Amino acid sequence: MTAHAPGFPEDEVRARARNGTSEIFPPAESYGREMFGAENLVDDLDQARLVPPVFMPERLGKLIDLGREPTHDDVDLSTVVGGFSSPLPLFLSAFGSTKLGSAELGIAASTQAGRLGIPMVIGENVVPVHGYRSAGSPVLNRIDAYLSTVDATSGGVVVQQSTEDADSEVWNLVYTSPSSAPLLASGRLAFELKIGQGAKPGLGGMTVLGRESAGGLGGQFGLHNVFGADDKVLRCATPGTYTEEIVRQQVRFMRNNFPRAKVWVKLHPGRDVAQAAATAWAAGADAVTVDGAEGGTGWAPLALLRHVGLPLAECLRRIGPPAGCLLVTGRMWEGSRVVRGLALGATAAGLGRAALLAVSEDAESGLVRLAESLALETRLLISALGKYRPAALCADDLWWPRTPHTLAAQPVPVDGLV
Amino acid sequence: MTTHDSEDGRPLPLAEHLTASTTKAAMAVQQETLQAARDFLRGLGCAELLPPLIGPVTDPGGRGAKALDVDFYGHRYRMMTSAILYKQASLRGFGKLFYIAPNVRVEPMETAGTGRHLVEFHQIDVELAGATRDDAMRVAEGLLVHVVRHVWDAVPDVLRGLGRDPVVFADLLDGAFDRRTHGAVVRSLIDVGHEQSATAEIDWVGEELLSHKAERPFFVTGYPKGSRGFYDREDPETPGTLRNFDLIAHGGFGELVSGSERESDYATIVTRMRESGENPAKYGWYLDMARDGIPASAGFGMGVERLVRFLTGLDALWQVSAYPKLPGVATP
Repeated sequence: MTAHAPGFPEDEVRARARNGTSEIFPPAESYGREMFGAENLVDDLDQARLVPPVFMPERLGKLIDLGREPTHDDVDLSTVVGGFSSPLPLFLSAFGSTKLGSAELGIAASTQAGRLGIPMVIGENVVPVHGYRSAGSPVLNRIDAYLSTVDATSGGVVVQQSTEDADSEVWNLVYTSPSSAPLLASGRLAFELKIGQGAKPGLGGMTVLGRESAGGLGGQFGLHNVFGADDKVLRCATPGTYTEEIVRQQVRFMRNNFPRAKVWVKLHPGRDVAQAAATAWAAGADAVTVDGAEGGTGWAPLALLRHVGLPLAECLRRIGPPAGCLLVTGRMWEGSRVVRGLALGATAAGLGRAALLAVSEDAESGLVRLAESLALETRLLISALGKYRPAALCADDLWWPRTPHTLAAQPVPVDGLV
Repeated sequence: MTTHDSEDGRPLPLAEHLTASTTKAAMAVQQETLQAARDFLRGLGCAELLPPLIGPVTDPGGRGAKALDVDFYGHRYRMMTSAILYKQASLRGFGKLFYIAPNVRVEPMETAGTGRHLVEFHQIDVELAGATRDDAMRVAEGLLVHVVRHVWDAVPDVLRGLGRDPVVFADLLDGAFDRRTHGAVVRSLIDVGHEQSATAEIDWVGEELLSHKAERPFFVTGYPKGSRGFYDREDPETPGTLRNFDLIAHGGFGELVSGSERESDYATIVTRMRESGENPAKYGWYLDMARDGIPASAGFGMGVERLVRFLTGLDALWQVSAYPKLPGVATP
């Protein structure tokens, strides 16, 4: 006799009963083709509206400065992102050892990020999985691709290191590599301490591997048979253990060991994100990246994609006015979300999934075109707010639905009116 | 016979370097130095052990130096950057011990021109169970005084032939070297216009400035956490600083000795490993032993080549090594 439970997620229960642990993940066959991020997350950063004022004293200032009415073309988007000059308030987010980000798309994204002159982050676990000096080394290939197109002063390369990367001494390899010499000489190399990521806060990196290719990694990573009889295994990196003192000392250790490299720190959207960011800045981090729960290109358990981590807006609200360079990532692809992030204190926004999609659309110029459209949109929005540089944006430029401001206001006294 | 090494600051080809008069003089000083060090330390009751050359882990070090990998029957082993972990472990059987230890550190390329870095070098590596920082500093001080006195007694003509004057060492022989805290040193460097972070190692330029200004060796104590390895014990009275020390030579010769009280508490060692970005799982054998109990201790490493350079007054460290390897320079 077949049992039924109307109103209960019967199909999901039956799927777990049939397939076991593989059901807590996205379909294994989608790995390497699809990118993953939060499902159906309501981030009220997307609910907030940009609200231009009527009176615009900064536009008057610009008018006086220019001797003519300013336009959106007068918005200067150039900025300093984590110690690097960038013509746009954007950077290329990390793609880890995930198949998608490590192969041709990663190279295409690096080449185009170089053309744009925006900083580029190279993700964790790449060296333990793919090697450093091997012919297909994603780290060296991506650095070479970036350097082949970037000009002499813009941008920079940021290399992440996870716990498993530390065993491979990735930062040491990069710091002493001849490939990095032009970056070090021009002050355009940074190392990023990866503390967490938006798609799976509190967990380390995960990839799906064929059983055969996983063999050589057993000594470095946990390998788990979660896909049943399938020929695939789940490779898990450890997330690393952090306390306030561990973060403080690791940042100092990076500054001591690699004095010619900038120091970036990447945080997952934890409930103590404000304290973590403040600790990193106080220890001397040149940038702190906050990856909202919307973020992620990598593989993650469904429960974490659906139910874990703070939305980006709440992270930014908790951090408040940042005490250092704050970078944001998570579902960034168009100008209004970037501008809203900047209004809440960010200096720049990272493109992750959007960048990979753009280069998969056009490996020659997809990311360049995406960034150009985003830049124009950003200029239009910032000028609409009566401002002409990203740093002038502030929380007043946003209106949040269902806040006290929606209530009827009292009349405002104005000079000359009785 | 070649009488002088290269004048452009770079070593001559090995065949010529080995016949240079400066190399011969340096080796004469080196063997007296090692003899004196052994006599002094054996006199204190220290056992001399021969150190391991490779192991599954080594001292993670700092200042961007890295270890060389060795394929050990399919296992990834490391050349010893220092044998500190083995020194601590050995205390279980040998309460006072020393090595004359060969070490390999792949230093950053920018250190090639400091005159003070070699990829292959040696340390007089001392560890004393139950000792405090003060005890270790007294031993380091006594060792330096004894070595200098012995070398001047044994090979005065060699030193004079290199242009050394005993008056340079007269104050040193009185011992009782000055002690300055890292914080005080940072302030003095900032006062003379040198930018020095209070939370970092004293940089090369700063160290050289201090060394030139001094007229006799002096200790710097209490380096900040984050500038040294996880095995240097944090000072419970001033959290954030370590119970460690350097001994800096006068005359621009810089650091001769690094030492510390060691951390021996298992949980603190694991926590400190994380603070320095290490993966504790790599250090399995050491942590197992620490969990079982490693004696509290203090110790230090005195750089043999640096000490010989200080004695001989030669311009660069490579001149006092028979087979010098400079960072980034591929030589035999």
